[in-house]
Amino acid sequence: MNVLTPDSMRNSATTPDTPMVELIKVFKRYPPDVSALTNISLSIGRGEKFFIIGRSGAGKTTLLKLISSMEPPTNGLIEVSGKSIQKLRGVKLARLRQKIGVAYQDFKLLLDRTAAENIAISMEVSYKKPQIIRNRVRSLLDQLDLADKHDTITAELSRGEQQRIALARAVANSPTMVLVDEPTGNLDADTTERVVKLLNNSHKSGATVVIATHDESIYRDTTSRIMELKGGMIHSLTGGIAQ
Amino acid sequence: MSFWFTVIRQVGRNLRQTWMSQFMTLLTVSLSVLIFSLFYLIYVNMLTVSDQLSDDLRLIVYLEEEPVPEMQEQLRKKILAFDDVENITFISSEEAFEKFSEQLGSDRDVLEDMPKDFLPPSIEVTPLKTLRSLNQIQLFSGYLAKLPGTLKVQYGKDWMERFYHFTRLLSIVVLLSGSLLILTTIFMVAYTIRLTIMGRQDELELLKLVGATNNYIRTPFLLEGFLQGALGSTVGLASLFLLFQWITTRFTGQGFLNLVDFRFFPPATVAAIIGVSILLCAVGSHSSMRKYLRI
Repeated sequence: MNVLTPDSMRNSATTPDTPMVELIKVFKRYPPDVSALTNISLSIGRGEKFFIIGRSGAGKTTLLKLISSMEPPTNGLIEVSGKSIQKLRGVKLARLRQKIGVAYQDFKLLLDRTAAENIAISMEVSYKKPQIIRNRVRSLLDQLDLADKHDTITAELSRGEQQRIALARAVANSPTMVLVDEPTGNLDADTTERVVKLLNNSHKSGATVVIATHDESIYRDTTSRIMELKGGMIHSLTGGIAQ
Repeated sequence: MSFWFTVIRQVGRNLRQTWMSQFMTLLTVSLSVLIFSLFYLIYVNMLTVSDQLSDDLRLIVYLEEEPVPEMQEQLRKKILAFDDVENITFISSEEAFEKFSEQLGSDRDVLEDMPKDFLPPSIEVTPLKTLRSLNQIQLFSGYLAKLPGTLKVQYGKDWMERFYHFTRLLSIVVLLSGSLLILTTIFMVAYTIRLTIMGRQDELELLKLVGATNNYIRTPFLLEGFLQGALGSTVGLASLFLLFQWITTRFTGQGFLNLVDFRFFPPATVAAIIGVSILLCAVGSHSSMRKYLRI
């Protein structure tokens, strides 16, 4: 974990050295008095692959929600790409979100739309050209072994297929950071391998990849850092050095 | 992909998904515009009739006896003391007799045994065009009635009062139907947009999470309101135009309608009605977004 000084906390300008994600003394409580995260300080470097592990209820999903600015922290500071996300509003917040691809645990798919439309949505909001969107959607569906589901209504897909569509949507817009919540929860070994490969490709192309999982098979042999959460607190932080 | 291309695609998708409520709203907007425009058209035409009638407005002051030239001058001064008038003409008993006999035409022989001075002398006063409201005419008539030697003042009082009350009633109907138009249009459009927003809550939340700007999310709803206003008012006005054409063709040359030169709205009024409808629908859409769109 990087050492945080008051100076580094004040400096919010974006430089190549600025971490991708920085959390300083972050707390999250839900009413009436449920403490989801307690005193989390963490720094994730640019282009780093980072694993968050822990049992159900440990706070993995909450942490991803805070980083993706889906929910605000109760206390503490969260900076993404050198910008305090609590202070961002309007277009600036939208621009930041366009650079963060998130695959949610509950998928958040539009069930009345086709698989292709669901993937395209993240590129449409940043006004990508239709031809580029079409090509990217086809390529992602191929990589995830879903080429034949291009025009299938998402509600008709299996849980595993829906999970892969959510993942494809997260990486479609070539984001600078990908947040993935339990990416292999509903998948068999073969498909898990495809998913891991897709995330590795995204990482190789320079994106910061944060994966919350309790599936040991995807982080067992990794050289990346692994943070274990227990009861909403950091239990351990092992592995490589922040880049 | 450009902003507007995306927005238009979203609008198309919304219209497809909620076409029934959209159609009902369109119908309501059209009917509101039709009802309001119908009364407004009648009102505008009645005002034209009123203008035509007031062009012929004369106040006749009947006198007890023929005024000598000095008296005429005094009366003229007294009349002008109330207000400037367009014209004052003194008509002697003999001139009145001649006029009456001309009006009788072939029946003039009924006057053969009558003395030429049996009709009272009179003053014909043509008021200025600015003095055309019923109230002002009544005041002027009251003033003239008090002139020395006046028997009676005549200006078609009953008819004028009835016509005045009719146009006043019409203006109230126009105001009421106008208010109705505003309320129903805003309410219906707001309600439809609210239904659309609620039906698409999941999608809107997702759009927000994947980085859609507020304009990206809001503009399709505003455009829907705009389209409802433009299309609804055009349909309403087109229906009114067809109704107008039918009435003028069907009833040409019959009674009262023949007296009036009925005209449809000039292009500027048509544009204003469409413009106001668009504005109202946009307001309805905006108010729904403010209440229900959590972005």
